[in-house]
Amino acid sequence: MKTLLYILTIFISLNIFSQTKFITKNGVVNFEASVPSFEEVKATNNAVTAIINSENGEFAALVLVKGFRFKNALMEEHFNENYAESDKYPKATFKGKIKEFNLKNLETTSKFHINGELYFHGQTKQLNDVIIKISMEKDIISMSGNFEVLASDFDIKIPKIVSSKIAENIEIMFDFQLNKK
Amino acid sequence: MRKLLIFFVLLLLGLLVYNYINKDHRNIATEQTVLVVSSANINEEFSKNSVDSKKRYIDKTIEVFGLISEINSYDITLDNKVFCLFSLEIKDSLKENIKVKVKGRVIGYDDLLEQVKLDQCTLIRE
Repeated sequence: MKTLLYILTIFISLNIFSQTKFITKNGVVNFEASVPSFEEVKATNNAVTAIINSENGEFAALVLVKGFRFKNALMEEHFNENYAESDKYPKATFKGKIKEFNLKNLETTSKFHINGELYFHGQTKQLNDVIIKISMEKDIISMSGNFEVLASDFDIKIPKIVSSKIAENIEIMFDFQLNKK
Repeated sequence: MRKLLIFFVLLLLGLLVYNYINKDHRNIATEQTVLVVSSANINEEFSKNSVDSKKRYIDKTIEVFGLISEINSYDITLDNKVFCLFSLEIKDSLKENIKVKVKGRVIGYDDLLEQVKLDQCTLIRE
């Protein structure tokens, strides 16, 4: 009877362990669509939520589009009203899975690949093999990387009059410090 | 005389255009608060009816009160229901379970964590 109880306890604790999640609420996502020699088109969001399931490498991130801050207030207004239409599409999300992710692998490798779907402005785009740097220190997982998307992938039309000042290729950078929950 | 007038009109137009392009960001800290709400109430409104609460709150300057459930150098979470991002580092000696009132701009509802998010927050002293 006692042995059974021990075994049961081990199983339950294993089960709890397998539910390990790492979360951040203040992750950083930047994007840049600048064209050289024109005013930079760049914004930062410091309130990004990201969750990783350390057991299977499943990863999700949520960006509230209104939280993107530009240097130029008018640019921020135009971004929200004309390009991202943040009243209509307040969220951008990413859901995916990191290949061969394992907490033990973190000791030997820092470069991983992630596949997943990026949703923004009502459109979804599949991203494959995005390189992601991951490291772990004292129960904090750091993840960072960058990738490029096209404005047209997300049905964002850049008017001709400003097309020389806004790049069609948009560089997106992310940096998350996830705490164990 | 006429040339001078045209010159001044052009100068004025130029200034207006310049000010429009380089206008200042909203200053949430000094803006009038639209409404005051508890962390539990605003969270409930968003989780029950996100369409109406979006119209009511998003991009508005509000004040939220509640107990601190988590604190970091740039953010405070109230009752695990409202996340408040500050623009400046929080220097006040705050601890968990202290009741505070925070002024900020609502940026939306995070359905991963089921929390309302605010940015450009400042602490309201009473």
